Amino acid sequence: MNSATATAELRRPTDWKGSAMQNRIRRRYAAERRFKLLGLLSILVSAAFLAFLLVTMIGNGARGFTQTEIRLPVDFPRSSLMLDPAALAGFGADAALAGADIEGTTAAAADAAFGAGGARLLSDGAWLSVRDAIKRDPAILRGKAEIWVPAATAIDLAAKGNAAPAAEAAYGKLQKADVVRTGFNWTFLTRADSTDPTLVGIWGALKGSLVTMFVTLVLAFPVGVFAALYLEEYAPRNRWTDLIEVSINNLAAVPSIIFGLLGLAVFLNFMHLPRSAPLVGGLTLALMTMPVIVIAGRNAIKAVPPSIRDAALGIGASRVQVVFHHVLPLALPGILTGTIIGMARALGETAPLLMIGMRAFLASPPGGIMDPATVLPVQIFLWSDEVSRGFVEKTSAAIIVLLVFLLAMNGVAIYLRNRFERRW
Amino acid sequence: MNDQTMSAPLLHPSAPSPASDGGTLKMTARNVNVFYGAKQAIRDVSIDVTQENVTAFIGPSGCGKSTFLRTLNRMNDTVSSARVEGRITLDGEDIYAPDMDVVQLRARVGMVFQKPNPFPKSIYENVAYGPRIHGLASARADMDQIVEKSLRRAGLWDEVKDRLNDSGTALSGGQQQRLCIARAIAVDPEVILMDEPCSALDPIATAKIEELIHELRGRYAIVIVTHNMQQAARVSQRTAFFHLGTLVEYGDTSEIFTNPRETRTKDYITGRYG
Ligand SMILES: Nc1ncnc2c1ncn2[C@@H]1O[C@H](COP(=O)(O)OP(=O)(O)OP(=O)(O)O)[C@@H](O)[C@H]1O
Ligand SMILES: [Mg+2]
Repeated sequence: MNSATATAELRRPTDWKGSAMQNRIRRRYAAERRFKLLGLLSILVSAAFLAFLLVTMIGNGARGFTQTEIRLPVDFPRSSLMLDPAALAGFGADAALAGADIEGTTAAAADAAFGAGGARLLSDGAWLSVRDAIKRDPAILRGKAEIWVPAATAIDLAAKGNAAPAAEAAYGKLQKADVVRTGFNWTFLTRADSTDPTLVGIWGALKGSLVTMFVTLVLAFPVGVFAALYLEEYAPRNRWTDLIEVSINNLAAVPSIIFGLLGLAVFLNFMHLPRSAPLVGGLTLALMTMPVIVIAGRNAIKAVPPSIRDAALGIGASRVQVVFHHVLPLALPGILTGTIIGMARALGETAPLLMIGMRAFLASPPGGIMDPATVLPVQIFLWSDEVSRGFVEKTSAAIIVLLVFLLAMNGVAIYLRNRFERRW
Repeated sequence: MNDQTMSAPLLHPSAPSPASDGGTLKMTARNVNVFYGAKQAIRDVSIDVTQENVTAFIGPSGCGKSTFLRTLNRMNDTVSSARVEGRITLDGEDIYAPDMDVVQLRARVGMVFQKPNPFPKSIYENVAYGPRIHGLASARADMDQIVEKSLRRAGLWDEVKDRLNDSGTALSGGQQQRLCIARAIAVDPEVILMDEPCSALDPIATAKIEELIHELRGRYAIVIVTHNMQQAARVSQRTAFFHLGTLVEYGDTSEIFTNPRETRTKDYITGRYG
């Protein structure tokens, strides 16, 4: 092509109606449609996954929140129980109850009520309900009483239509006698771990998670925010701060189990903090969460327009005042978002906590940050490993509790974020 | 206007010392050089700012007007690569002396920026912020008074008096800029530096700001950077023409605009380049 024709072509007016142009328009529309379709597809896929997860979890887990109970008639004066109601009035009640053979009495009452082997219809922990009933009202010791006690796992499963034929028959008989009911399982929300699936509770692990998260938040949030503020607002730009920045970014990507090993080496073996304690768990998770908060915090701080800093400096605000009166409040929504992402990750973390011994079997909830404790995901992991069939639905129920915890945490974060959000 | 001029030395008793042109010297700069890293942005600039006059800085884009303006209240300290040489005084005090408190300096030498930058807080809070951090008002009533006085001086009071709790960012551009001026004068500065305060505004808002500058003149020493020749001629009594980091010419505005000594000044003013 010589230059003469090229110039001639250039001079010709653009042909907006030509076929080449129409082709281009068609291709553009097609590309746009493809893009929209792809986006829609990916949203559908993720929504389907979420729906599947929720439906299976709630389907299985809902049963974990109910418990079958049997009405057990106990004739206290005729029983072998040697307990004086007067002794249960004040102090020493617990000692008196501990000394009495309530377990034997309960088994005998079951045998008497439901025939030989009747005790096997009841949960191993049925006597605990009897004990609690006595404690609540010692007067029942003077006569006959009817006490609702938890049923054995087999009966429980039968009540939920999911059991062996033998248990089904036994359940049918109980039903005919009108001595069973299936109701909300308060035990599950108030007790800790147990070897008997009818007696397990999530409260121990839930409290462990709460306390651990509290320790994590209290350590990671201020340290992370201050580190972010310092790096963005004060630190000079040089090789050292670059190095620190790279290290923090890498730290955020380190697999969590390595933090567990670090916690084991530093907090347990070197500092001799108590094993399995929420303090150690919180410290370990704080190490993991901090880099996430620092990175999110720095981005949020960077996004605060420099003109705001100039404005404040220009009327004689000190740098600390600029940071705390203007930069931090404006960056807070972003910082909170980062914090919640880090905390959610910490809440779901299992591996590092296994390393520092938070997988012990604990029949009572922790009293404080130094007591042995376990956390929700570890509890789920432990229950999912149990052979007894009763634990299957408990595992799902625990997962629901964990998800609800997570949603509650996110809800709080969203609320806080909206409160601090400023319109420009 | 005249009584303001008279009362000015009484407001700041340490000020009086006659300048060469008859005004009262407020700030002086001697042989100032500014560097960004290795690059020199200001070369050997010496200038006097007087209490009574509005001083305008004009010059082509990139010639260093903003840079020089920012050395007058040490805003360049926030730019890590910036380095300032030379001597700049406020009421005879070297503002780059080691014992000079930068925070107090910036309260005494206030600044209004090119782009209106109100805090994303209420109108009241925008104005009250400065007095609060400097402890200028002890009671709520005092603060109310300062806020009202500042907004009145900035010519904004009548427009916002019923919505002091609305966000400052919800105002129009011109109102925002006047809010920024109110914010600057609320801390009762001695000097106000304005970096192209009208460049984002329409002619009506610009006229309002210019009127405001007229009213503030004498009470505060004012330095204004502008690209608008008419504006410089309208609002200022003294004009400095910068070019490529040097101060080409500095003198009475009427003199500069009618009878510039340098051809570069003349070319710029008549629009032959810039
Ligand atoms: N933060 C900085 N770092 C490096 N160089 C800078 C910086 N700020 C300004 N400069 C340079 O210094 C010179 C003067 O800039 P300055 O902003 O003072 O110009 P100006 O006269 O205000 O221009 P305009 O009229 O466009 O605002 C320019 O060459 C600019 O590139
Ligand atoms: Mg400028």
